[in-house]
Amino acid sequence: MNQKNNLVIGAIIAIVVVMSYDVGVDPIAFVEGLPNLGIVLKEMTEFESEHWGTAFWAMLETIEMAFIGTILGVVISLPISIFAARNISNKYVYGPLRALLAATRTFPSILWAILFVIVVGLGPFAGILAITLYTIGFISKLQYESIEAIDYDPVEATTAIGLSKIQLIRYVIIPESAPHLLSQILYMFDYNVRQTSILGIVGAGGIGFYIINYIKFFEYGKAAVFMLVVLVTVLAIDWASVKIRDRYIMKAQHGQQVKPMKN
Amino acid sequence: MRNVSASYDSKNLILKNVSMNVKRGTNYAIVGASGSGKSTLLKLMNGMMIPSSGVVLYNYQKPDLKNKEYKKSIAKIGYIPQTLGLVKNTSVLENVLIGALPRLSNFKSFFKMFPKEEIEKAHEVLDLVGLDTKSNRKVHMLSGGEKRRVAIARALMQKPDVLLADEIVSELDSVTAREVMDVIKDAQKKFKLTAIMIHHDMTLALEYANRVAVIQEGDKILEIGVDGDQIIDFQTGNLTQEEILEMYNEPEK
Ligand SMILES: Nc1ncnc2c1ncn2[C@@H]1O[C@H](COP(=O)(O)OP(=O)(O)OP(=O)(O)O)[C@@H](O)[C@H]1O
Ligand SMILES: [Mg+2]
Repeated sequence: MNQKNNLVIGAIIAIVVVMSYDVGVDPIAFVEGLPNLGIVLKEMTEFESEHWGTAFWAMLETIEMAFIGTILGVVISLPISIFAARNISNKYVYGPLRALLAATRTFPSILWAILFVIVVGLGPFAGILAITLYTIGFISKLQYESIEAIDYDPVEATTAIGLSKIQLIRYVIIPESAPHLLSQILYMFDYNVRQTSILGIVGAGGIGFYIINYIKFFEYGKAAVFMLVVLVTVLAIDWASVKIRDRYIMKAQHGQQVKPMKN
Repeated sequence: MRNVSASYDSKNLILKNVSMNVKRGTNYAIVGASGSGKSTLLKLMNGMMIPSSGVVLYNYQKPDLKNKEYKKSIAKIGYIPQTLGLVKNTSVLENVLIGALPRLSNFKSFFKMFPKEEIEKAHEVLDLVGLDTKSNRKVHMLSGGEKRRVAIARALMQKPDVLLADEIVSELDSVTAREVMDVIKDAQKKFKLTAIMIHHDMTLALEYANRVAVIQEGDKILEIGVDGDQIIDFQTGNLTQEEILEMYNEPEK
């Protein structure tokens, strides 16, 4: 038993070493480069405070983009997920649809952003389209999986009452699969804010545009202002979604508010 | 139903040549041990399952969900499965309204545009089962007995001719079980229902039904007619009355 485990661990280490050599991992370069990191970090602490305002507006634009993209994506995902669920839909519909959804998830949103910049030109609209598409790919998958996992008993009972398919979806499938939706949306929004923060790199709007440009011209002090704003915002959103989740989702699932145990 | 056999996997027969005739207005009970095939029998009656041989007839029709004509009449067979099949995340009222959906167009049901008389009917049946004050409660916040009442109300909302109920009181304590049975009895009187109910417990079956069929390992071994405390009719398979009463008279918990 143990010997077998050791063998597996040894093999994994060997593979990592061989692969690192193959792609040119260079620990010496890392150590030699460390002082550079020090310089960057030092320059980053020299905030140029006149940029706070710009950073704030750029962040606001980023959040707006992420929000629009998330909402659009979710709205489009809902009908798609019903057509993609194996227990409701027909295999000639869900087969191709699932393949298409998988394709949208294959590439990170920044690649979609490049594509949409080509289609609709530079600016936030391209970014919103990229975020929307990525959200569709993700939320549809999460949703059709929760639809496939719903309790079969109410489906059977209501079929015996003689409900039509549309009625079944409206009164059984959607309410039974919805409790996870809010938490999925929160997670997606959180994720989309981070993604949108870098879309500016390819000219698709948002705060990333400033960060990449200041870094390109070695103006780390300016870049740092923008990065700090991203950091604080993402942490705040993270904190807020935990709060919302506790308040609404736990309550919805267990019929009461979760309170820490006192002893 | 005549000489009905059924199986889930085409190998093991769950029901073997069962024949049964339920007259309109009867209060029919089916009793049997766990796994004897009671639920299967009920699913054959409303077409959720198709017999492997023999025929089931409901109002001179074969229950078959693929048949369009039959789909209309299934709306009038109130069915309460063993697992109840309630939608947990919606309100009591909405669960009950599900029983009315076959009377509503797809468009109206999609936007939850229930006619006023349907809403009134829902409150009426909820009142009958004693749950009208909790109509806005989510189903997962109800007790076991209350959930059963919701399922009864949903079945009554179907304006049924027949009520099929699968062990609706088996998991309840005997006081609550009688309360729930009394609710059904009242509803039966009020709406002139034929009821076919599965029981785990012979005592309850004899108390509330006027015909009781006993199923054992997929065979109907006897059927008795009851009037008050009096057994008026007795058709046996291969066991004596005493043996059977002894088998199914479980000690009170
Ligand atoms: N979906 C199914 N697939 C395969 N076998 C099944 C299925 N449902 C029931 N069975 C089998 O059929 C037999 C009869 O089941 P049924 O549910 O009719 O019993 P029951 O009399 O209702 O029992 P209980 O009192 O426990 O509800 C059992 O042996 C069971 O294992
Ligand atoms: Mg059963």
